[in-house]
Formats: sequence, structure tokens, C-alpha cells
Amino acid sequence: MQRIKVIVFKEWRESLRNKMILLGAIFLPLVMVGASLVMVYQGRAIEVPGAQVALFNTALMYFLIMPAIIPVAIAAYSIIGEKEQASMEPLLATPISDSELFLGKALASVIPAIGLTWASFGLFLGVCILLVGEIPPHVLNPPWIAVIFGISPLLSLFSVGVTLLVSSRATDARAAYQFSTFGILPALIPLIVYTSKKTLVNLWLVGVEGVLLIVASVIVLYFAIKVFSREQILTRWK
Amino acid sequence: MKQEQCSVIQTEHLTRNFGAIAAMNDLDLEVNKGEVFGFLGPNGAGKTTTVRMLSGLIAPTSGKATIVGLEIGRDNRAIRERVGVLTETPGLYKRLSVVDNLLFFAKLYAVRDPERQTEQYLRLFELWNRRDDLAGTLSKGMRQKLAIARALIHEPQVLFLDEPTAGLDPEAALMVRKLIETLRTKERTIFLCTHNLDEADRLCDRVALFKGRLLAVGDPRELKERLYGRRTVIHLAEAHAGLEDAIKLPFIKKVERMDNTLVISLSNPEKENPLLVNRLVELGAEIQFVKELRVSLEDLYLDLMEENDATD
Ligand SMILES: Nc1ncnc2c1ncn2[C@@H]1O[C@H](COP(=O)(O)OP(=O)(O)OP(=O)(O)O)[C@@H](O)[C@H]1O
Ligand SMILES: [Mg+2]
Repeated sequence: MQRIKVIVFKEWRESLRNKMILLGAIFLPLVMVGASLVMVYQGRAIEVPGAQVALFNTALMYFLIMPAIIPVAIAAYSIIGEKEQASMEPLLATPISDSELFLGKALASVIPAIGLTWASFGLFLGVCILLVGEIPPHVLNPPWIAVIFGISPLLSLFSVGVTLLVSSRATDARAAYQFSTFGILPALIPLIVYTSKKTLVNLWLVGVEGVLLIVASVIVLYFAIKVFSREQILTRWK
Repeated sequence: MKQEQCSVIQTEHLTRNFGAIAAMNDLDLEVNKGEVFGFLGPNGAGKTTTVRMLSGLIAPTSGKATIVGLEIGRDNRAIRERVGVLTETPGLYKRLSVVDNLLFFAKLYAVRDPERQTEQYLRLFELWNRRDDLAGTLSKGMRQKLAIARALIHEPQVLFLDEPTAGLDPEAALMVRKLIETLRTKERTIFLCTHNLDEADRLCDRVALFKGRLLAVGDPRELKERLYGRRTVIHLAEAHAGLEDAIKLPFIKKVERMDNTLVISLSNPEKENPLLVNRLVELGAEIQFVKELRVSLEDLYLDLMEENDATD
């Protein structure tokens, strides 16, 4: 437990010193909060129910993309940075276990992703009240809450799993970042479903997505953990 | 029993293959407590692979080894708690400060008082006044010192050094070599991989020379004597033909002459040199210089490698 914490804090310290990661973690959520506010502001007075729902749903989608996209840079760097600095071997020479190391790296990206998503959602609600005078009823209903607190963490878990796996396997940084964006796909699927059906986000949809995500995450994490053995890291990673 | 207590590293038929490549083949080795043991092999001979196996990082293909009584493969975690490894490249976190680099490892090793231990080592290695600088700004020599401090932070019983002076300029290499000399204690065993023979000669109590397999093990001085004996070189003003045959002293093992220089193999030069010089003076030789012929470990190494290649 202690060692996982030590890894997490080291990753954060390194990330905070990395301008690209830091700027991404600040501006990405801000831009998305701004975009979602625009949607809600425009939709506030629309009388046609379908059109308003479509706009509100799109606003919600930003909070699905955010948890998937924020951790990519941190997770990718936590592997690529070690590779570039050849720092993995001294780390592996310590008594840390393979799973502690993996969990440390995963949590170091999942925690800020979830934290920033929730903080952004808080910011979004606050500004919404200021702008519109209220939180529109279709914006803060049970399916929304289920999405923000249930689906978002799963999306970031899946995305981190994909990124760690891809970064471990990739031989150069650019390829790692490019292929890691696959981890964002599951966040986009509901976007297509919701906007094409023009239905309200409902608990049934959220439930199905949740189950699918759990299955997908378990599969991805299984392979990522397999790649994270000392033997593999030292003899296969390039 | 006593033997077992002294031996800190023991390997039996230790072998590691990568596909068809045998990185290390059938290694039998015994390293004693408190000694500085040189592991000498050319590029690709399997030094790094051996260190990785012995420090519980990768598994051998066959054979076994024990480190401080623990078996590799079975007790890897316990082994890692007790050994320190200076890896081939320092592998520091360039964006972290010197002190953060060390503190991170002190915590991973669960050192009792990480802050104090870190300070102690930074002071000891003269890095304390650079503690807040990013590791990326250090000179190569300082990086290597920091990496050595990192390998020592948990006071390991066995320290593996994988080419500690490779890639350093002579001044930095000297600094690191001096540092290693100070690390020698009765309790700590140092396993030094190198292909710098001069370094091994100076630092090591015993060396193992190998290339794919073990070629020779022993005290560097003894090894040299065993292979070449001891030799005295005598420069004469001029040497007449047949002088080497005229000397005729019973203790002389071999005489070679090249122009005005005689190379004479002896078993006890301290006693035999004065007699030899007398005899030469008797024979009318004008002696200009007398000195001991020093074989470097390098000559030994190259000869052994050559022999090895010839027998392959
Ligand atoms: N992960 C790996 N995959 C395939 N072959 C490997 C791997 N690691 C080492 N080898 C091979 O094993 C042999 C021994 O390598 P090793 O790195 O142990 O040698 P070394 O003595 O440390 O060499 P150097 O002096 O260059 O550091 C080499 O032929 C090398 O190519
Ligand atoms: Mg090597």
C-alpha cells in the first residue's frame, strides 16, 4: 500500500514538472466546460423537446470524453518517460511487486482524471446557475448523476488500461500517444447512440454501458498487468 | 560450514538464453563476504544478464544461485531488499531534484528514516549542496555518484555495480573509482562488472574472466603470476651474442633477449635479482636499468580471450 502511494506521488511530481501534461490537465477541462455551458445556454429556452434534449445530451458528452482523455498524457508519460530515461530498471530492483508498480501507475492517472472531471462538473453547475439562473431539470437528473459518478470513472479506468498497455508495447512515443487515443472510443459510442436516437439519457442505457465498460476494462487490465512483469519489462520493452 | 558462511553469492550451472542466444552459459561462481569481486567480460559477454539474474530481476533458463542464503527465483523479493544495483545507465528522473530522486528510492526500500538517510548519503557523496537541482542538470560523474547513492540507500549486503565508470571522462572515472574504494567494508560484498581491466586490477580482491563461459578466477596478482610467472627486465649498454646462455644460474626459469634487453623469468625476484646482477657484472655486462616486468590484467585478458577463441 505504502509503495503504491510512493509511486503515485512520484508520478504526480514528475507530471507537475512537465508543461505539456500540466497545461493539458488545466485547459482541456476548461475548454470542455466552456463548450458544454454554451450548449446548455443555447438550449435553455428551446421549446422543441427533441432539440433541447439533443443539445443537453451533447453537453453531457463532454463529461464522458473528459475522464477518458485527461489521463492519456499522464499514463503515457508514466511509461514512456521511464523508457526514455532508462529509469525502469533501478525501480524494478527495489522490493516493489509487479502489481504494486502497475497499480501505482494506473492510480496516478485515474485519480486526477476522475478528480478533474468531477471538479469540472462542479464548475459547470456553478456557472450554469450564474448564467441561466437555474440548473435545467434535464441536466441534473438520475441518469446524469449515474453517468458522472458511475460511467466517468470506468471510462478513465479503461482509457488508462489501454494507454498503459499501448505505451508498454510501443517502441516510440508518438506511436504510443496515437494508439492510446483508442481508449477514448468507448466515450464516443454513447454520443452516437444518444444523438442519433434523440432520446433522453436514461438509466437503462447507462446501465448497459456500465456493464460493457466493466467487461472491457477487465479485459484490457488483464493484458496490461501481464505486460507488467519484471521479466517482460526488462527483456521485451523497447 | 565455515565456507558456507563466508560465501555470499553462489551459482551453479547458471544459464540464461534469449531465444537461440546464450547470454550466459553454465556459470559456476562463488563470491565471499566482504570482497570486491570483479566480473570481467567483453561486450555482450553476459555481465548485465548475470547481474539481473543475481538481483532477482529476471529468471535463469536453468541452473540456480543463492544470494546471502536466499534462492533466486524463490526469494526474489527478499533478495531485492538485501542487494543494491547500480544499473548500466544511471536512469535518474531528470525532472526530479537530486533529493527527490533519492528520497523516492529510500521510501520504496522502506528505509526507517528516509529523509535522514537521504541527507546522510547526499552529504557523504558531496551532493548535498546540489540537492535541489534537477537531476538532469548534473554532470555525468555526479549522476553516477547519485546512482551509486541510490543503490546504497537501504544499506544492502551485496552491491552490484554494472560498469560504474563506463562513459565517464578520466577525471570523473577517477572520482567514481575513489568512491568505490571507500565503500569497501567487511560486511559489504561488491560485485563489479567491468571491461576496464586497470580498474579491476586496482579495486578487486578477486576477478573472474569470462566470455560465454568462465576462463579464470582468482586474485589478479596471482592470476598473472600463475600464467606468466614473475619477470625481471635488464637493459644493458650492449649485449654480446650468447650472453643469455652464459648466465647459467640454477634458479632462472627462462631467459629471452631482444637486442640489449634481457627478460628473465624468476620465481623469487627479491632474492634472486641481486645474484643475477652480480653474475651479469662478472660476465662483463654494463647494466643500465633493472626493473620488474609488469603484466597488466589487460595482457592476461587478451591472451585468455585469444586462447578461448582458438579453442572454440
Ligand atoms: N532482452 C534481450 N533480448 C535478446 N537478447 C538479449 C537481451 N538481453 C541481452 N541479450 C543478449 O545476450 C547477450 C549478453 O548481453 P549482456 O547485456 O548481458 O552483455 P554485457 O556483458 O552486459 O555486455 P555490455 O558490455 O555490452 O554491457 C548479448 O548477446 C545480448 O545481445
Ligand atoms: Mg552490460
